[in-house]
Amino acid sequence: MTDQATQASRATDSSTAAQATDQRLEALPFDRALAELQSVVTRLEAGNLPLEESIALYEQGVRLHERCARLLGQAELRVQRLVESAGGQLRALDLSLGEAEEG
Amino acid sequence: MADGRSPFADLKPTVGAAEAPGPRILAVGELTRLVRETIQRAAPLRDVWVEGEVGQVSISSAGHCYFTLKDERSQLRCVIFRDERLMMPFEARTGLRLVAHGRLDIFEPQGAYQLYVDSIQPSGRGDLALQFEALKAKLAAEGLFESARKRPLPPVPLTIGLVTSLSGAVLHDMRRVLTRRWPLAQVVVSACQVQGQSAAPTIVAALRRIGRWTDPRTGRGVDVVILARGGGSLEDLWPFNDEQVVRAVAAHPCPIVVGVGHETDVTLAEFAADVRAATPSVAAELVVPSRTDATLRLRGLADRLAATGTRALAERRQVLTNERRALEGFRPAALLAAERERAGLLLDRATRVMHGIVAADRLVLERAAERLPMLLAGTVASARTAFARQSAALGALSPYATLERGYSIVRGADGTVLRDARRASVGDLLSIRLQRGELDARVDKVRDSSA
Repeated sequence: MTDQATQASRATDSSTAAQATDQRLEALPFDRALAELQSVVTRLEAGNLPLEESIALYEQGVRLHERCARLLGQAELRVQRLVESAGGQLRALDLSLGEAEEG
Repeated sequence: MADGRSPFADLKPTVGAAEAPGPRILAVGELTRLVRETIQRAAPLRDVWVEGEVGQVSISSAGHCYFTLKDERSQLRCVIFRDERLMMPFEARTGLRLVAHGRLDIFEPQGAYQLYVDSIQPSGRGDLALQFEALKAKLAAEGLFESARKRPLPPVPLTIGLVTSLSGAVLHDMRRVLTRRWPLAQVVVSACQVQGQSAAPTIVAALRRIGRWTDPRTGRGVDVVILARGGGSLEDLWPFNDEQVVRAVAAHPCPIVVGVGHETDVTLAEFAADVRAATPSVAAELVVPSRTDATLRLRGLADRLAATGTRALAERRQVLTNERRALEGFRPAALLAAERERAGLLLDRATRVMHGIVAADRLVLERAAERLPMLLAGTVASARTAFARQSAALGALSPYATLERGYSIVRGADGTVLRDARRASVGDLLSIRLQRGELDARVDKVRDSSA
């Protein structure tokens, strides 16, 4: 019973931790995600890890891979134009293709 | 012309003799020499700038270039020797207007006067060319073009600053290259004029803007800047030789690539850049990695990741086998056969599960090339299920399961399981593991049952 309780609390701990990890992953640029994936794979390949840790690491590797694959597959070039206001403030506004060509 | 002289040889045996006053008759060679010496003494003819249109051009087998320079009234024969010719920025071509510099001289065998050219410039740009050379020398002396100043480009830029005109094909071309090659990037265009008298200050201002901009979401500026302009005449490209533009490029806070005009065009801004690109499209290629390369690299990592999962399963299976062996050591001989059978069944089941998973993983690896991301998620799920089943099987095989039936496990002070009473001495501290809880006990007496 106490085992179950600890397991349950561990489960919530790990799920909030996983959420935090997911959020961090979502903000990760491609090169950093790829570098982390590289280090995860290297650590897993080296072995000598306890089961739980290697599962967690494996899952992290899968999430990193998903992040990278999504970035590569779904990316759409975003083009903005820098506009300077009278006060010297700079803003980047989305630039449509047509706008650029009419220029 | 010896044969021309022979009919009169007997009449005028001594040309230019003292007893023959009046005009002196010269040999052609002498006259030619005389004219040549006169030309050579005339300082203005030793340092001539002349402008005209190039007529016929021929290159000798030795690599010298012979051509005529002409205008409405006259023609001038010109020679560029091979060594000079190879150093020149362009070739004399028929129809081209150019300014040539050299010395005038006579080619005695043909009696032809010609210009021995040591430098040529496109016509009408004499001033510009001189300005270009002067500014280049000045900025080079300041060290603006030194390779030690050049910064490396970031391998994977998040944000790319483009300084170019909003009109024209250049922006479109670069956009196309970046979309194909690395659409993960964000592009921020800082617009400027790229032609005309007022272009230079707008280029400088646009470079400054892109240098001080930061993305409000990330607080970061651009990682790399491209200054670009399409092809055009030398005058069109002139703003990129402007001193202020060159200085702004050299002093830019971000690594900067300059791609102006076509491959053959050279501007001072390119010398000052961290990287010079032959054209704007090449500049766009240079600043980003290739998506294809990145995909391949990612795929390689995914394969290796999947392989570690498979290997971890194999290792757990080994642990399971070891557990069975350890277990056998605990069992009284009478129960062993039955337990072994039960354990064997469980192990078979676990092994089947493992085999299934290994096979599934193999399948995953085979399909990985096509649909890796999806399948990888599947692998993890099946691996987790397998681990869960495995621990259930381990639980059933655990030595602790036998405690339910009233067996106990006795360990010595060092934690080793006691199988032989002779291993214990009177007064030893033992720990006895029951189905529920443990007892600490002290040895009162040692009876050797086999004795």
